[in-house]
Amino acid sequence: MISQFFVLSQRGDNIVFRDYRGDIQKGSAEIFFRKVKFWKEDGKEEAPPVFNLDGVNYIHVKVVGLLFVATTRNNLPPSLVLELLQRVARVIKDYLGVLNEDSLRKNFVLVYELLDEVIDFGYVQSTSTEVLKSYIFNEPIVVDAGRLPSLGPAALFMQGNKRMPGTAVTKSVVAHETGGTKREEIFVDVIEKISVTFSSSGYILTSEIDGTIQMKSYLSGNPEIRVALNDDLTIGRGGRSIYDYSGSSGSGAVILDDCNFHESVHLDSFDVDRTLSLVPPDGEFPVMNYRITQEFKPPFRINTLVEESEHFKAEVILKIRAEFPSSVTANTIVIEMPLPTYTTRVNFELEPGAVGQRTDFKESNKRLEWSLKKIVGESEHTLRVKLTFPQELHGNITKEAGPVSMTFTIPMYNPSGLQVKYLQIAKKTKTYNPYRWVRYVTQANSYVARI
Amino acid sequence: MSGHDSKYFSTTKKGEIPELKEELNSQYKDKRKDAVKKVIAAMTVGKDVSSLFTDVVNCMQTENLELKKLVYLYLINYAKSQPDLAILAVNTFVKDSQDPNPLIRALAVRTMGCIRVDKITEYLCDPLQRCLKDDDPYVRKTAAICVAKLYDINAELVEDRGFLEALKDLISDNNPMVVANAVAALAEIQENSTRPIFEITSHTLSKLLTALNECTEWGQVFILDALSKYKAADAREAENIVERVTPRLQHANCAVVLSAVKMILLQMELITSTDVVRNLCKKMAPPLVTLLSAEPEIQYVALRNINLIVQKRPTILAHEIKVFFCKYNDPIYVKMEKLEIMIKLASDRNIDQVLLEFKEYATEVDVDFVRKAVRAIGRCAIKLERAAERCISVLLELIKIKVNYVVQEAIIVIKDIFRRYPNTYESIIATLCESLDTLDEPEAKASMIWIIGEYAERIDNADELLESFLETFPEEPPLVQLQLLTATVKLFLKKPTEGPQQMIQVVLNNATVETDNPDLRDRAYIYWRLLSTDPESAKDVVLAEKPVISDDSNQLDSSLLDELLANIATLSSVYHKPPDAFVTRVKTIQRTEEEDFPDGSEGGYSESPSHAAGASPPPTASSAPYASARQPPAAPAVPAAPAPVPDLLDLGMENNNNAIVPVDQPATPAGPPLPVLLPASTGQGLQICAQLVRRDGQIFYNMLFENNSQIPLDGFMIQFNKNTFGLAAAGPLQVPLLQPRTSASTLLPMVLFQNISPGPPNTLMQVAVKNNQQPVWYFSDNISLLVFFTEEGRMERSAFLETWKSLPDSNEVSIDLPGIVINSVDATLERLAAYNMFFIAKRKHANQEVLYLSAQIPRGIPFLIELTAVIWIPGLKCAIKTPSPEMAPLFFEAIERLLRS
Repeated sequence: MISQFFVLSQRGDNIVFRDYRGDIQKGSAEIFFRKVKFWKEDGKEEAPPVFNLDGVNYIHVKVVGLLFVATTRNNLPPSLVLELLQRVARVIKDYLGVLNEDSLRKNFVLVYELLDEVIDFGYVQSTSTEVLKSYIFNEPIVVDAGRLPSLGPAALFMQGNKRMPGTAVTKSVVAHETGGTKREEIFVDVIEKISVTFSSSGYILTSEIDGTIQMKSYLSGNPEIRVALNDDLTIGRGGRSIYDYSGSSGSGAVILDDCNFHESVHLDSFDVDRTLSLVPPDGEFPVMNYRITQEFKPPFRINTLVEESEHFKAEVILKIRAEFPSSVTANTIVIEMPLPTYTTRVNFELEPGAVGQRTDFKESNKRLEWSLKKIVGESEHTLRVKLTFPQELHGNITKEAGPVSMTFTIPMYNPSGLQVKYLQIAKKTKTYNPYRWVRYVTQANSYVARI
Repeated sequence: MSGHDSKYFSTTKKGEIPELKEELNSQYKDKRKDAVKKVIAAMTVGKDVSSLFTDVVNCMQTENLELKKLVYLYLINYAKSQPDLAILAVNTFVKDSQDPNPLIRALAVRTMGCIRVDKITEYLCDPLQRCLKDDDPYVRKTAAICVAKLYDINAELVEDRGFLEALKDLISDNNPMVVANAVAALAEIQENSTRPIFEITSHTLSKLLTALNECTEWGQVFILDALSKYKAADAREAENIVERVTPRLQHANCAVVLSAVKMILLQMELITSTDVVRNLCKKMAPPLVTLLSAEPEIQYVALRNINLIVQKRPTILAHEIKVFFCKYNDPIYVKMEKLEIMIKLASDRNIDQVLLEFKEYATEVDVDFVRKAVRAIGRCAIKLERAAERCISVLLELIKIKVNYVVQEAIIVIKDIFRRYPNTYESIIATLCESLDTLDEPEAKASMIWIIGEYAERIDNADELLESFLETFPEEPPLVQLQLLTATVKLFLKKPTEGPQQMIQVVLNNATVETDNPDLRDRAYIYWRLLSTDPESAKDVVLAEKPVISDDSNQLDSSLLDELLANIATLSSVYHKPPDAFVTRVKTIQRTEEEDFPDGSEGGYSESPSHAAGASPPPTASSAPYASARQPPAAPAVPAAPAPVPDLLDLGMENNNNAIVPVDQPATPAGPPLPVLLPASTGQGLQICAQLVRRDGQIFYNMLFENNSQIPLDGFMIQFNKNTFGLAAAGPLQVPLLQPRTSASTLLPMVLFQNISPGPPNTLMQVAVKNNQQPVWYFSDNISLLVFFTEEGRMERSAFLETWKSLPDSNEVSIDLPGIVINSVDATLERLAAYNMFFIAKRKHANQEVLYLSAQIPRGIPFLIELTAVIWIPGLKCAIKTPSPEMAPLFFEAIERLLRS
């Protein structure tokens, strides 16, 4: 059981502080913040999420720049506490619509009311927004989302995709709409975070997809929902050999290494027809998490050429090729590459007619940064970089530079080929036809090419 | 809920409190609700709004749940500082606990349990009894937790009133939430009890396994953790349990997955069929790997656990090494753990892949990570004989990049590789020697010198190389000096020519006459004696064959490992320390022999008999300070000071347990020790004990400062927050420079009526102390009214009677102090007189003694005191009459403490 729960701002201010057991001194938030801030003398290294100081165990997660912390004196399961902290953040987000310092402060009474129902004497009672609704009486004061980062993977849809109703993800699940009735809608998001490591010769060393089917329901009356996935979905490797090459077109079989489900999901017919049925609780929650190491076609190929051109100089050529169909567009692409620490000057040369591209040399950590607003499928982009050094090279510049890493978001595209075939909502009346949003997005987790 | 200590000393706006008071008493409901919200807002940012206690409590009788919850929140926070007023709330609580609305019933018991005031607790029992049998599951599940709360306040009461039995009945409840909370409450009570309370029989086991399927995710964790203490009778039962638990591995909640893994691992110990075990290992692997797709914080916990699991059962993840490859954007704490596991899983089959990764990591930016990667290569070389050569060639490649810290780290591990495979890889020495000049870290230098000395006969210019180090001999750190000494002796024994002979003289001279380091000097004298008496036996000693070192990557001692495995999923498994090394409240239950595994193999998972002999120093170092914490829990008057625990958690990635030293050395000055207000554990080594005292008609703050930190502290200053009596320092704090491990005491003269805090009187005094080296420390003290009783308080009998009569009856307040025994009237009077309470008269009423005394606090406010008691019989009635009856609670508190001590 936990003793205290608190939320600190980035500056270390107490935004929320709730003591459940009174066995730890009140100054714990300050003690914690000092320790985390100066974990190593240089203040650079990040503190681990679990540590013990003077007999008090501090367990914390970072959520949208806020520190969610729990303390305890007991040998309890830290995974429980870490999950709890994430869940508390999610519940608060469900209630307030937006999770940030401002919304927490404006709604502190509601937040304390929630905390009292979520945790009693340090024991988790419930973190289901749905269940909590019957015990919570305060109304949220909705604050403007502003430009603050929103919480959760659904935030991806906020940017660069006009087809999505952007306000939906910052809407409280309990607040009454000002203009009359609540809009009946449900969001199902298939979010895939991909990690790929290319060897210096371009081979794929490791590749992995961490996927989530995320749901957020604003349907009244909690109707039952059926979600059908690919018929040929297979779980567990080893059952059959992996000869099918499943590209982005989704033709081949989808083979999951492992998956798990939200507790509201019924799997009765899953083995037969790959259909999940559930009564979605209010709030945002993952219906299913899955993991794939089956080979897939990486959305980008990265080509790096490093040449020592003359004394004290070298040239780097970065070439990015989009391997996905031209109907799809990736956005917010950033390519980074550490350069030798003794690099003194960097000159960039973009391809002629380049639009929406920016280059930068970060002097402090000797890193080049190339950002592109968007990349259309099947296109290719090149950047030439001239480096100047104060001394002659030892001839192993490739060992002192790189690897090239890349971040991006690709809406309406998922490399695994996992699909929501249909989303069926149990009808209440003939006219009942809520909005259904099924969205796909792919995001780079660790996308790295060695040189 | 205070928080915001920065605002500790900020003054509340003038008029805010009276304004709130008015609003709280408004006739309009909405206005009252808003006012309570404002009060809560002030409370959460640390303002003292305790003076509004009565007004807030008056809002408690409402049908509005939102408002009621707010008032309850306020009560939980302030009841302790206003115990006498808190009693006002009792009636409403009791009424609420019988409200038709189940939410209100639950809210009432939940809140009562949180108020740790004895008088309230007494009234809790009946409502709790009812609520445990309530029709509504929400009320029952709240009541279940409330039993644990009550046990924490008053364990005896729980046992006497039969709450334990009621709680056990709830295990069979038809609502899974209730079952889960009952299990959690029982587990906690068992944890703090010395006798068996919650024992899981095969009957409860099957009930709980059934409940498991219907519980919320959190309830599943409570139940799985409780069940992990169950010992299956045989392999068949173990298999049955595992079968019921395995579906939990598919849960989206990582805590459920890890608790299920723990259960399965424990039961696997009993399962004899190798097929079943192999199958289970296969089933556990994917969920364990999936944990690494969660947030980095959870990954860290998972990795620390996996580290233990693969030490015991390497096959589980033998084929999954790729998932432990570091991602570019992993936080450093995740990367470090992944490296550790990669070393453990490295095998002849995958070593090429692993080396490729390590080589890549060794050119990354983060220095600590790079060093660890280089070391990892060395450890693989030591672990895998057939791969050693490949590892060495990678190390040589890295050395050629000439990044200083990579080279030094490589040389350190190569020295170990030489020790592991003597006479195998010496051909690379020449390459190593090229980097000689760049070495500037002691460990790397010492390693290089060791290599030169060890292989002096194969290095042509060994004498030149060593000589280059000798010039700076006096300035080198001891580690390097010791290696230089030994290496020079080795060189001389191997090449007894003129050069080395001169060198040995220089070194021996430097290491004996011109050093203060006793270790170095002793070693040098031993060599000197050896060399001068018998060079041949010197050879036998110095050049003796060294024992071959082995791989240290499975570094945990097997009994410790078993103990940690029994604690999988808990903090213990993250720290890699047994629970009693860091938990202040430990289980003291004695395990009996028959609880051991029936097959008697290995001693198994039972708690502690093994680790005492194990390689972990913490238990011995820490058990002494904890001893006092094991005493039965009494409701502490001030927030419990944390036990003086040394920083046990050297969370460095190595297992470094050696640095633990108990720091608990209480200084005992003459007289009763002063109460500790700022424990050293809170004050970064600074401990402050203090108490208000009265000497010769003057109030002093008697303070003792103890510096347990490593640095001298000076420039002490003190400040007092507003308090009821306006107590403040009359002059500057006189504390001299405080050297480490010293203490100083001082008597700080105090004045009254400086900054008076508004509101009803209370005994709280908040103090801030600063010095030039540390942050500002805040602590609170309890003012005893006794120090204010002046020497002028003596009254004539007639004046006493007159004053008594002149005061209205409403100014008379009385209290019963049930636990106090008067054994001798004279002794009691003497004690009271010592605190300026002067005897007026006494009379006998039936068998009771009635004493009359007078006292006076500053500004001439008299206290007329009447004490009634029967000698030798517990129970004292204390009545006072005074123009300031609001001081009565403080007086009662003070006199009770005086007469009780």
